[in-house]
Amino acid sequence: MIFELKKFEIKDLPTNIIWAVSILTVIGLLVLKSISQHHIGTILGNPFSKQILFMVPAIISTIIIIFIPKYIIHKYAYLIYVFGIIIVLLPFLGKSHAGTYRWLDIGLPFALQPSEFAKIFTTIALARYLSDHNLKMKLVTSTIFPIIMVLIPTVIVLKQPDLGTAIVMIVPVLPMLYWAGARPFYLFLFLAPLFSMLTAFHTIAFTIWAIILGLTIFIARPKLLLSLLLFFGNIFIGLLSPILWNSLSAYQQNRVLTFINPDKDPLGAAYQIIQSKTAIGSGGLFGKGWGAGTQTHLNFLPVQESDFILSVIGEELGFITISIVLLVFGYFISQIMKKSYLSNDRFSSLALVGFATILLSHVFVNTAMTVGLIPVKGLPLPFISAGGSFLISSYFMLGLILNLSINYSD
Amino acid sequence: MLKADNLVSIRQYLVSIVIVWILIAILLARFFYIQILSHDRYRKKANTNRIRKVTTTAPRGLILDRNGHILVDNLPTYVLTAIPGELSEKGQKFGFISKIIGLDSIRVSKNYSKYYRGRFISTRLAKDLTFTQISKLEENKLDLEGIYYQQIPERYFPSRVRASHILGYVKEVDKKIRKSIPNKSEYELGDMIGWNGLEKKYELYLKGKRGVKFYEVDNLGREVGYVSDLPLINPKPGQNIVTTIDIEIQESIEALMKNKRGVILVGNPSSGEILGAVSAPDYKPDLFTGLMLEEDWKNILYDPGKPLINRFNSGLYPPGSIVKMVTVATLMKNPKFDPLTLQDCAGAYQFGDRLFGCWLGQGHGKMNLNSALINSCDVYFYKTVNLYDLGLLSDTFNEFGFGATTKVDIIGEAKGLVPNKAYMNKKHGRYGWSKGAILNFSIGQGELLVTPIQVLNYINLLATRGEANTPHFVLGTSLPENTHPQISSENWDRIINAMGEVISHDNGTGKKAQPNSPMVKVYGKTGTAENPHGNNHAWFVGWAEFSNQNYSIVVLLENAGSGGAVAAPIAGKVFTNILKKQDFASK
Repeated sequence: MIFELKKFEIKDLPTNIIWAVSILTVIGLLVLKSISQHHIGTILGNPFSKQILFMVPAIISTIIIIFIPKYIIHKYAYLIYVFGIIIVLLPFLGKSHAGTYRWLDIGLPFALQPSEFAKIFTTIALARYLSDHNLKMKLVTSTIFPIIMVLIPTVIVLKQPDLGTAIVMIVPVLPMLYWAGARPFYLFLFLAPLFSMLTAFHTIAFTIWAIILGLTIFIARPKLLLSLLLFFGNIFIGLLSPILWNSLSAYQQNRVLTFINPDKDPLGAAYQIIQSKTAIGSGGLFGKGWGAGTQTHLNFLPVQESDFILSVIGEELGFITISIVLLVFGYFISQIMKKSYLSNDRFSSLALVGFATILLSHVFVNTAMTVGLIPVKGLPLPFISAGGSFLISSYFMLGLILNLSINYSD
Repeated sequence: MLKADNLVSIRQYLVSIVIVWILIAILLARFFYIQILSHDRYRKKANTNRIRKVTTTAPRGLILDRNGHILVDNLPTYVLTAIPGELSEKGQKFGFISKIIGLDSIRVSKNYSKYYRGRFISTRLAKDLTFTQISKLEENKLDLEGIYYQQIPERYFPSRVRASHILGYVKEVDKKIRKSIPNKSEYELGDMIGWNGLEKKYELYLKGKRGVKFYEVDNLGREVGYVSDLPLINPKPGQNIVTTIDIEIQESIEALMKNKRGVILVGNPSSGEILGAVSAPDYKPDLFTGLMLEEDWKNILYDPGKPLINRFNSGLYPPGSIVKMVTVATLMKNPKFDPLTLQDCAGAYQFGDRLFGCWLGQGHGKMNLNSALINSCDVYFYKTVNLYDLGLLSDTFNEFGFGATTKVDIIGEAKGLVPNKAYMNKKHGRYGWSKGAILNFSIGQGELLVTPIQVLNYINLLATRGEANTPHFVLGTSLPENTHPQISSENWDRIINAMGEVISHDNGTGKKAQPNSPMVKVYGKTGTAENPHGNNHAWFVGWAEFSNQNYSIVVLLENAGSGGAVAAPIAGKVFTNILKKQDFASK
């Protein structure tokens, strides 16, 4: 392959990605302005002005990242991965916030959530590992080390405990391995135990799963001994999962249970889901109008400025705007994947598909939660939800996406 | 340049894109189902079936005396609240409310801005409403949209004692307080939080847990009823606290301190339990509940008697002669010390170029250790300072618990001051002080400062030969380790016998502490402490052996004169009262 030797130029920045982010940001600010109408008090007490304030460091970080040469990012990938692990460990040294160790006090009037950055650092390190080594991805062993690399920070984040961010952190490894050439069958094998565990609580679901598992193994045709091992290993894990279930923290169990039967926990999660669905459903096609959402403004809607901001959009601006938001997200993520596909080097390509997956996980988990498709997870919506360190980390990632999208020679 | 080429195939790319759009499509379909297909159902729900979460205040735990008499109780009172978002023509409504129930309308609007926390959070307008006021509001309910009332428990003091410095008080949580407390999520504006005394120290036990109710409200915000499938959670009342206070002793010592300034502490020497404690002047315990007028507050704050100060816990006083037993214990550490050696007291003692006087100007004549304690002769102690140095003396003070907090379970304890070499060098320079300072310390003067609670602990240690537990106010709490001075039993006998003779001897300075019954044996020591703030402070410390148990006592009267003449008789009265009570009980 012949490379055009090309310099980095600002005009090569993908304008469609910038447009997509701008639309999302503006919609987010509009909604936050509506929520903030009745807030009184300091600047930091009002989600809208707080968001505006945080936009400044956020955009500055994007601009700085754009100008960092690719090879620097590649060179220090492992170093910042280690840095990421250190910063997610730091909160454990301090005081807990409401029983969790997600937040890092840095002497400012707001706290940082290091895991928001660690998920990005982990993806970069993974991209470097998978691009540097001319891995024989057809071998199952080649996929084990990358998975360990992701598991280290994920387990720490899980321990904080922050199930939502842990999920977002671990998911990118799957498409990255797939793009690096791993056999989809192996990825399936990694996911299989999870399904075995989840379906184990329901006899019919477990039976169906066992059939799918058997068929997949049959089609892929590994050696007989391995096939039997895989099949019965999964069944065993499934049978073991009630024991594992008891080892989960009470709040995690609570969330899963609430999802299965929302009437069980009216104080917490179910109350939130009921209120969220009522807000969205009552919004209809065009919504109740900006600033006129009764669910929102009567304070029925919980954490409306971050986790449930989409419910405010649904109530006040209707299905039309929800569709715009989701389509823009879909377009945005597809564009990143396209840039990844068109990238000249494997490192950029893998990092980009990792970032796309991070964004997709955020969008899917947050959205599915607000409409009651999955249990309540404390995950915000990128570029729309209020939140200091989350906003900055999203724009930080945007800087990386823009940078790696351009094909240039260092 | 990065080496590895991108090898992603069009197939991998397309599979990924398809997955992205499938997920987006699932989400869109779900929104379509909720927002378009189920729109009518949810719209009705939003309009008629709103669920409002209301939390209810948990009553605080009660505070009881050792025999179960209630010292602090809860009384339900009515609170007037408003939901700002449902309130139209605010000013006019406040005026109307004030008119019908006779409140100051400026006060109502002041409260409104003080408690405002959000458009749909109930905001307090007034409290302590009477039932009549509530009925008047109820009559005019139709004109008072957005105005509600609630019942909340409030602190109430049913007993005949004040005990204000022990019990402390609760404070209403306002925005500033809420910001400053670590567990702020557990408090709402208008809640009560322990702010002093036992109320503060045992806040975690007393406070209880809020309950939750879900109301259904209609689209105007009016409550239509409870939500049946969202069960109500009743508030969990706080735990009761049983104090060591004996209400009868407390009542008697409060009466004795009426119109005086000072402290009386009565304790059980071995257990460390405090049976009565008064810091006078004090304030009415309900001062901080209900509406406090600014005038009342100023009166209290600028009262020259400083009633808000807890004298037994944070008051610092020169001890005077009551600490002479510490000096004795220091002397006993020197094997050369002979308690029988006589020292001549001529009323004053020349040390270097300074003359140190005895309290008795004419002098006590020849004194040994025993008679020096009985007569509280100062010159005896001046003449024996050569037997120890400042380090040994300050160590012995520390062994009796001075110079450190006793860790009594009331917040704000002062630790006093026991000057040691390092302190003196720092304050006066290495050569800026002489042995003359030790002469002052030996009779409890100079820079020495103690708190009455330390003195109680000291007297408990003397009464129990060093075995006493840390003083405390709540029965059965886990106690911090007390100090235990090590003294030979022969020497304990010597000290304790002398303290007995302080009361029983004809010349004893503490004679007047004897109650009018020979059955009770009293041990003690008087003190008359010079201080820079006027007349001498009068001290009496000691303990009395009753048939069933011992009682230790600390009496301090600020600027009242001689300990023997003023403080000892009060101790005598306290013992007499205890005796009367016991006789009454046995009959």
